[in-house]
Formats: sequence, C-alpha cells, structure tokens
Amino acid sequence: MKRKALSAAVLAASLVGLSACSSDSAGSGSDSVETVTIGSVHPLSGSLAGVGGLMNDGAKMAVEDINAAGGIESLGGAQLELLDGDSQGEAQVGQSEAQRLISDGAVALVGTYQSDVTQNVASVAERSDVPFVIDVAVDDKILEQGYKNTFRIQPDASSMGQAGAQALVAMGEETGEPIDSAAYIHIEGAFGDSVFAAFKEEAEKQGITITKEITYSGSNFSDATTQVSEALAGNPDIIAVTGYYPDNLLVAKAVGSMANDTKAVFGIASGAFDDTSFPAAAGDAGTEVLSANYHYSATSDRAADIRARFEEKYGKPMETASMLSYQAVEVIAEGLEESGSDDPEELRDAIAGLSLEDPLLAFDGPIEFGEDGQNENATVIVMQVLDGKVEQVFPQEFATAELVFPTGSGN
Amino acid sequence: MAITEAPAAPAADKRNPLTAGGTRITLTIGGIAVVGLALVYLLGDREPALITQYLVSGLLLGGVYALVSLGLTLIFGVLGIVNFAQGAMLTLSMYLVYVLQSSLGLNLYVAVVLTIPLLFGFGWLVQSMLLNRLTEDASHDRPLLVTLGLSLLIVNVLLMIFGGRPKSVDAPVSGSIEILGALADTQRIIAFGGAVLVAAALTLVLRKTSMGLAIRAVAANGTGASLVGVNVRRVYAMTFGLGAASVAVAGGLITPFTTLVPTAGEQFTTLAFVIVVLGGLGSIPGALVGGVFIGVLQTVGSLYLPGSGSLILVFGIFVLILFLRPQGLFGAKQ
Repeated sequence: MKRKALSAAVLAASLVGLSACSSDSAGSGSDSVETVTIGSVHPLSGSLAGVGGLMNDGAKMAVEDINAAGGIESLGGAQLELLDGDSQGEAQVGQSEAQRLISDGAVALVGTYQSDVTQNVASVAERSDVPFVIDVAVDDKILEQGYKNTFRIQPDASSMGQAGAQALVAMGEETGEPIDSAAYIHIEGAFGDSVFAAFKEEAEKQGITITKEITYSGSNFSDATTQVSEALAGNPDIIAVTGYYPDNLLVAKAVGSMANDTKAVFGIASGAFDDTSFPAAAGDAGTEVLSANYHYSATSDRAADIRARFEEKYGKPMETASMLSYQAVEVIAEGLEESGSDDPEELRDAIAGLSLEDPLLAFDGPIEFGEDGQNENATVIVMQVLDGKVEQVFPQEFATAELVFPTGSGN
Repeated sequence: MAITEAPAAPAADKRNPLTAGGTRITLTIGGIAVVGLALVYLLGDREPALITQYLVSGLLLGGVYALVSLGLTLIFGVLGIVNFAQGAMLTLSMYLVYVLQSSLGLNLYVAVVLTIPLLFGFGWLVQSMLLNRLTEDASHDRPLLVTLGLSLLIVNVLLMIFGGRPKSVDAPVSGSIEILGALADTQRIIAFGGAVLVAAALTLVLRKTSMGLAIRAVAANGTGASLVGVNVRRVYAMTFGLGAASVAVAGGLITPFTTLVPTAGEQFTTLAFVIVVLGGLGSIPGALVGGVFIGVLQTVGSLYLPGSGSLILVFGIFVLILFLRPQGLFGAKQ
C-alpha cells in the first residue's frame, strides 16, 4: 500500500514536472526531462506470481542500477521510473494494464512471460505507438503480425526447436555417440506444438527418427509414468521434453524410476530442467538431465555481479526470466540514450537500430533486432545438472563444466 | 436401465448416503471394468506390458483422486456445502508439511500425522466462525461464495508467505516396486493405502461412534436431530473439521510427488467434484470407487486419446452416468 501511494505521489510529481518542462521548453528544442517512465506488465498474482514477481524485481533492479549510474546521459541525466502492472496471468487484464500504464505516462513497456498476454500487450503497443520489449514470450505468432513496435530478445519457439535439434546432433558428434532416434513428450498447445514441429523438421533433416510424439494436457497432469513408459516403449536414443516446471519435473522423476537404455533426457525450452530449484526437487532423477534453452550467461562477470546483488537484495536466486527483464530495461535505456528523446516514436526507431554489446544472456554477438523485431543473434545453449547444480556444457565457448554424454539417466 | 429399488423398504430403513455400500452397484461397476479391460488387452492393439503399466498407474492415480475427494464428499453429505476451498486446503496442508519438515526436520510421514489435528482445528474454526452463520439460512450459494473467497484467501496468503518459487520436501522412501511387470511408485502406493485407510476410518467413525451417529442424524434430518437434543452447529463444525483432516492426509501424502506451489491443489478441485458427483454426493465408498474409476479411465484412455483426449472421455462418461443414474453410483435415491 505504502509503495503504491509513494509511486502515485512520484507519478503525480513527475507529471507536474513534465508539464512544467514542456511549457518551459516549448520551442526551445532542448530535451531535458527529469524522469522517464517505463511500464512493466507481469503476472504478479495467480499461479505464475512467483516467476512474475522475480521478473518485476529484475526490471526494478535494472532501473535502480541505471539511475545510480547517473541516469540517461543524453537526456541530461534523466532518471528512470518503473510502473508495475499486474496481468494476473490473463490476456485481457494484461491488455488493460498496458493501456493504464501508457495513459499514466509510460513511454515504453516490458513484459510479460506468457505468449497470449504478450500478444495482447503487443497490439496495445502498436495502437498507442509505444515501443514494447518482450522479456519472455516464446510464441512465433507474436512477431508474425508485422508489428513495428514490438521487440524480442530471446529466441522464438521454432528457432529453439530447430537449434535444439542442431545442438543434439553436434553433441552426438563431439562425444562420438550419434543420436539416431528420439521420442518427444510435450505439452499441448501453441508452445509445445511449435517447438516440436521445428525440432522434428530439423531432426529428420539430420537423419534422426522421431519414434513417438506424446502430448499431455497442461491443466491436469499429476503423473507422467504412462507417458514416459510409452516413450520408452520405442527404445529411443533420447527422450526430448518440452513443457512447464511441474510437468517436466514429473517426467524427469518418471524416467528416473524406470530402467531404460536412453542416452539422455533432453529438455528443449523446458521450464524446469535449468531452473536453480530443479536439482534439489528432482533428486537422483535430475542427475545429468540436459536442457537446451536460452540462459543467462554464466560465463559473464557482469551477469554474475547482477545475480549476486539480486540474490542479496531479494533473497531469491535470479532466474533467467528475471535476467531477461533486466536486459529488456537495459535495451530501452540504451534506446533512450541513443535517441536523446523520450518521445515514444523516436525511442522506437532507436531500439530498432541499436546494437547492444555484452548481453547478459548466453548469445553469440550483440542484441540486434531484425525487420520483424526478433533479436537476430538469439540462440539456445545446452545446460546439464551436474553435482546438484545447473551447469552450462555446450557449446564450448559458454561451458562452465564438462558435458557428460551419454548420461546416467537409465541407471 | 433396469435399476429397481428394493421393494417397498420401510422409511426407517432408508440408507444413509454417507455409509451406503451398494453391493450390487459395486459388482456392476466391477463387471464393466473387467470386461472393458479384457477388451483393451485382447483387441486394444497394444503391448500387454504397456497396458498393465497404464492400469497400475491409473489405479495409483485414482488413489490420489479418491484421497482428495473423501473430505469433499463428507462435507457435502452432511452440510450441503459445495466446498470450493478444498483444493486450497489441500495446498495449505502441503505447505504445513513443508514447514514442519524444513523447520523441525521431521520425517515426512510424522509431519503428515501432525498436520491432521492442525487441519481439523482449521476446519472446525472455519465452520464455527464463518460458515455456521450462513448454513442455516436455506440458501446454498452464500456458503459456496464464502468457500470460494476462502480459497482465494488461502492461496494468496501462501503466495505472500512462501512466494511462488517451487518448493520440495524429502521423502524417507522413494523408488518403485514391480507389480506384474509394471512399475509402481512407492510414494504413490503409500498414498493409495492412505486413501483406503482414510475411507475406512471415516466409515468407522460414522458407524461406530456417538459423534458419527450425531453426524448421520444431522445428515438425514437436521431439524429432527436438533429437536432430540443434538447440537447441530457443533456437529457441523466437527464434520467440516473431519473433512479438512482427510484433506490433510491427502495433501501430506501427495507432497513428495507434486511440485509445491500455492496453486498446486487447484488441478484436483474439478476432478474431485466430478468424482464426488459420480460416486454419489455424500457417499464415502462412492468417493473411493469413483476416484479409482476416474484415475483408471483417464490413464488407460490416454493410451488411445492423446493429450486432453482422455479428460474428454472422463467428462463424457460423467455426463452419461448423470443421465442414467442422476444420484450417482452409490447415492441413495432422493
């Protein structure tokens, strides 16, 4: 409550300040503003509140770090301010929250974690001509609408499926354990379907047979034994998995409980396998599980520093999603810096043209957006659970530990 | 359907839905299940080992469903309250187990035993402080809305205290044993045993104790019971407490194989309602049989129908049974 009152007060003050500024500087052409408002839309209540809260904290911390370092220089040291919006995990609510934040003065938006909410917020951003930087939302469709105000830092679903297949082949070659067949267990719906379709296309091109595709319903899934035994029935070299945290945890536990000859459990865009709480939750069943996903860069000192401070401040480990929110705010700040203006349209053009070095994610190269708003250098890397920790193992340049392959999943 | 009631049973003989056994119905369902499974094995065009695995998994999943449904059916049978907070109370008991284990270092199953009186007290308080004020005015929707509100309250308080990060507990047992070539998870076997135990304990309490007698009397006729000196409000509180206590067993026993987040219990709520209506509102054997039936149907169904297909099968059978036998499998005819 107190914080809300405070932010309302700050907002009111900044509005007064802004209007005073604009009347003062009308016609003078100088762009000295005191605060620039960024709107953040995340699921702060409901079943996704945990990750939503982490992401909001990540964005908040980026704002504080930038302000502490002197704000936006080209705007005369303007300070950033973050306005929170709670999507409650619902597309409609997310949309109205985005509208509210824009009418409260936000010149850019970040969010939202879920693809359907993101879709709605992107359409608001388009209508209001306000740039929107997606921190997490994987669905290909969002950027296929031809929006010019929406940008995405992480890889999309189909490129994750494709890159997952390529990583698998490359790992097999490197370790001298080629992969010939895979069974695939994934969640129903746009997310699972699109990752699977892209994986299948690329894998078959590389000579991998898909022995079985098994789907499950995300809303009622409390036992994965049957799905896993069905997957194992075809005796595949690996079991590939796409889904969210609770269901992927069930899959890992089920594989762990059955004798089998698979070389690995391989998550692609898996919500669980590279989460810091996964090794403890899965116990023995999590050992050496592999996961191809976008990930914060564990080899970057800057990322390590931010994660350490985040954990100290909020008492929780900073997951990749939260790091992406931090990164999204940095993208907007960089756009403000380059455009030297807090006009949303000029900001949009600056973001579209920027090249941000030293990304916090494990990518090849800087963050650069293509025509459609997708970060052209976004890739996935492979993680593995080793000694109770999630380590980066492939490709070599991001490795924090040595890849173990084939894994001991069947023993 | 040629289901005829026993000829001209005297009114005093009317069976209480809470404990009604229904031998003939059990035999009928058993028969249908055996024939259905035989068809799946013989004509199902799947490896028998795989079918056995699905069957075993389905039975164990059914045990979990039954466990969650038992408290719900008791509360409905006596109080007539559709308890929307059932899923949230389930989550509450899971977090209690987590707290007991992480702060006192208790063995999981000891912690489960400790949560039983805690949840009983919680249920007692909810009924006597909150719902008793509403149950007596004939409307059904007010208590329903209160339990809905209670559920939101519990979930959000848990969220506030523990955050949304998934938690996990240590179980003293793990691994699985082989039954007819199929693997059965030990923790799920224990949960299944828990379901049978809770059903037996509830039946014993209802049949053999004076409290059970009072509960049955209130369930059959609240006004009559109060006229002969039963403290109806006390019985209500007791019943809600018992319902909550069975949820405590459920939550505790499923914690080791569920991801502990504030919304963990919600996925069971809808199915628990289906099971309770299917088995007969207020019937304890009905909840047990209904739970196992739905678990097996959902799991074996997923052999042929991918994704949510097997859930469609579950709801399809549910609607069919409502047509043919609206009072549910074990429900006494109104």
